[in-house]
Amino acid sequence: MDIITPLITAFDLPFMARALLVLVVLSLVAGLVGVLVNLRGLEFISDGLTHAVFPGVAIGFVWGGRDGLFVGAMVAALLAAVVLTVIVRRAVTSDAAIAIVFTAMFSVGIIVVSRETNYVGQLDALLFGRLLTVSPAEVNQTVVVCLLALIIVGFTLKEQVFRAFDLEGTAAAGYRPLVLDILLNVAIALVVVAASSAVGNLLLLAVLIVPGAVARLVTNRLWLLFPVAAGFAIVAAWIGLTLGYEASVNGGVDLPSGATVVLVLVAGYVVALIVRLALDRIGGPRRSRRRTDRLAEPVAR
Amino acid sequence: MTAASFAYGAEPALTGIDFAVRAGEAVALIGPNGSGKSTLLKGVLGLINRTSGTIEVLGEWPPPAGYIGYVPQTDQLDPHFPVSLEQVVMMGRYRSLGWWRMPAKADRRAVADALETVGLGARAKTRFGELSGGQQQRGLLARAVASAPRLLLLDEPFNGLDQANRDALIETVKRLKQQGVAVLVSTHDLDLARAVCESVLLLNGAQVAFGPRDSVLTLANVQQAFGSVGVEMDEHTIVVPGHGGH
Repeated sequence: MDIITPLITAFDLPFMARALLVLVVLSLVAGLVGVLVNLRGLEFISDGLTHAVFPGVAIGFVWGGRDGLFVGAMVAALLAAVVLTVIVRRAVTSDAAIAIVFTAMFSVGIIVVSRETNYVGQLDALLFGRLLTVSPAEVNQTVVVCLLALIIVGFTLKEQVFRAFDLEGTAAAGYRPLVLDILLNVAIALVVVAASSAVGNLLLLAVLIVPGAVARLVTNRLWLLFPVAAGFAIVAAWIGLTLGYEASVNGGVDLPSGATVVLVLVAGYVVALIVRLALDRIGGPRRSRRRTDRLAEPVAR
Repeated sequence: MTAASFAYGAEPALTGIDFAVRAGEAVALIGPNGSGKSTLLKGVLGLINRTSGTIEVLGEWPPPAGYIGYVPQTDQLDPHFPVSLEQVVMMGRYRSLGWWRMPAKADRRAVADALETVGLGARAKTRFGELSGGQQQRGLLARAVASAPRLLLLDEPFNGLDQANRDALIETVKRLKQQGVAVLVSTHDLDLARAVCESVLLLNGAQVAFGPRDSVLTLANVQQAFGSVGVEMDEHTIVVPGHGGH
């Protein structure tokens, strides 16, 4: 069976091409932001953000339909990003604070949506997106918002890495870590907004977190992390969309495209993990011997 | 710093601090664990709340950006972080580089020079987490050197270092002092204080004494700071009963 042709022909259809475009743009940003999320260990906070944006999405949707969704998401995301940054700064146990605030907000979102007549259908769309029914206008919105996030993070990238490595060193160097934190959280929030209509709130998390984690497994070299993450996300999106399309059109199995993309991402992660573990096992003893050679002087403890 | 106090939240951490460090001189912060040595350094960096008093760093507050070099304790850093030693040292150049701009030739030369200064030129490409504790410490010192600081803060730089690494560290600090850098170093180690510091600030949640090294490091002062009459002191170390030598 020819497996290459569908990877190209499937995207002759305008809605498939739009879906791919949205995912490619999202992948580029998610690669960049996602690596920082990984380096900072912000996975839980990102989770919190997607939850926090949900009531904004829901209220916007009930109020103004699909256009309102975008505005609502934007307002909620920016608000949440700033509140979140401050909470983490002030609270002694930040995890508990985040969990409480954001599960509460998620519940508000659910209550708002549940007042709509077609409750289950709407909820499904908000949580899991409608990748294949993205309109040209939504493509534009996504591109613009992603570009904004890209500029924010790109502009401060080396400082963000510095801060991730050594908070106090960053402050000593004369940076204001709070500003860097707000910028990163706002960028995450923007990605959440950009993704909320296409891939939905829950699936977004995979797009944001998995590529960064894969890059960490693939390379130890700092500046390679970013292209590896973005490249992996793009390839996974491409394969995932094709798989979903082929299964639905030619295979008679109805595969939701967004979820398929996520499963491809996760499958990629599993493969990377297995390869990494295998390489460490084979190369492990040799590598560690080389390491001891390099540390000719004694390791004082 | 005049009559300064610091607090974490509502909990006072350090009170009544009153001292100064001049260009080309070094002050040792000495005191038992939890006496506020790190707190004081963080206070100088503006990382924690000052509840009273005044601080000036190079005549200003908040401290002017880019003039402080800070060498944290290496165990505060993630050993799995994917950066090379060279990249860590380059972080010392970021502030002078400014946002967005990539390191230029001059920055790379400054990094190479800083690594030579601490004797780690050959390890530039090694992943930071794979270095020994002493090498990491020297790498962080190189980062501070690369930033061309006017005030250098060192937090327990001798922790976990063997003699060769200690000597290398002392040499570098001496050289920086000759270039007019002011140094503030927290330590358990009297050797370090004697090798590089003109003055000593004894701490125990509050200032016990400050002044020229030999007049402050009296047995009575040290016993007061360490809160135990059993404390003994010789040329090199302060011996606290039950803690072994420091």
